[in-house]
Amino acid sequence: MLEPLKQKKKDGTSYERPPEIEAWLKKLETVEVAERLRQFATLSRKSIGYVPSEALVYFLRRAWADRMEGDFEKIFRILMKRIEQSLCSAISDSRMAGARGIREEIMNRFAERIAKDCKGRTGLLDFYEIRFDKAFAAFRTSTLRQIGPTVVDTVPLGSDEDDGLEISAEVEAAASDFLGGDPEKLDDPAFRLELTAAIDCLPDDQKQVIGLLLQGFQIDSKDKNIMTIARILQCDERTVRNRRDRACKALKAILQEENAQ
Amino acid sequence: MTAEQHSRLSEEEVLLAFSVEPTHDRKTLEQYLIEYPEHAKALVTCSIELMVDATRNDDAVVTSEDATDRAWQRFQTVVGQPDDVLVTNPFSTLNPTAFRSLAKKLDITNLLLIRLRDRAIVAATIPRRFVQRLATELGATAEAVMDYLQSPPAMVSGHSFRSTVKPAVTEQISFTKAIETSQLTPAQLDALKTLQD
Repeated sequence: MLEPLKQKKKDGTSYERPPEIEAWLKKLETVEVAERLRQFATLSRKSIGYVPSEALVYFLRRAWADRMEGDFEKIFRILMKRIEQSLCSAISDSRMAGARGIREEIMNRFAERIAKDCKGRTGLLDFYEIRFDKAFAAFRTSTLRQIGPTVVDTVPLGSDEDDGLEISAEVEAAASDFLGGDPEKLDDPAFRLELTAAIDCLPDDQKQVIGLLLQGFQIDSKDKNIMTIARILQCDERTVRNRRDRACKALKAILQEENAQ
Repeated sequence: MTAEQHSRLSEEEVLLAFSVEPTHDRKTLEQYLIEYPEHAKALVTCSIELMVDATRNDDAVVTSEDATDRAWQRFQTVVGQPDDVLVTNPFSTLNPTAFRSLAKKLDITNLLLIRLRDRAIVAATIPRRFVQRLATELGATAEAVMDYLQSPPAMVSGHSFRSTVKPAVTEQISFTKAIETSQLTPAQLDALKTLQD
């Protein structure tokens, strides 16, 4: 019998694990503890038999509840290795100054969350049993906002200081070419994947604008009921357009460079 | 539930709830931005991280034992800490007038608020929506208030009283029992019952 999740949604109903995770848990419950730990140790997602991290969180919590300290530590360490792997990719040394220290602090803070969960404090680990990678991306985002380098945010919200400058005709042309050259390209999954990966290289202010554009938000509108990028980011629509144009120029260069390799 | 009542959900709680939504399209993000305007920037950043994260490849990374060791040490430190070290008392800054005013705002009796402050109620039985309201009025996050309520019952420092018997920690009761025995009016009682999870 699987332990149900305790976190409740806004409508008062309980969160539930996806069926595929429940299936994994039921399958793993029938396996001997030693064999289960052996299966957990697979770190590569591409390996056959890779157990999803959602299941590791479930059995980690269960090991603590059953006072199986040895098993708990083993699962804790495997989970942390997986976390370190994903952090090395999201916060690589080349992307951020002091990346190693930041990664370690995020790991330590996650260890604190586990400790709090063990003490029955928050129940927030429930989210990691539903969609581990997504939940961890959320945790990473929140932690980075507290401890990450401030230089990533090139322009504070509401400030149009560096955006107030007139954008050059060259940048405008590059952006227009990039967006308008072949609109159908955006529907091509391979190109979209390439583009999304390239967005990761942009400064945060440009990343926000392009990310929101890709999600279907419009830059501005006279209709006050429409949530636009300018309203979300609390800045002038010209600022948004400037950031978009700069981002497009940068993206074009990144994609051209990648395709040339 | 209104945006105001949500306002003290921590950023982390909001982002976690957002992250496990089945889809992260424009509609979902819009809903969250309307509901949690105070976390708009975090939500936008998170939505883009979720989009970009899928394109990252973490398979070729070599990990170190050191980082895992340090995380394990941090875990052991926190899990072994007495609960009082981690939590702060959100009531500690309230003077008697502010305390009575808080009870009034929450539309509960002083007695019920005293029981909450003294952690005389089993935290797990307190409706989450009530905790959120309490956190909003206290100017704290729901998580911080829950941390406090979940820590073991203790005599709250700052109280002075004379007694012929040795003061002892009160045994905890359920929220249902607490509201039935806290001299609430029938209307107050009904309002609190509707908040039950």
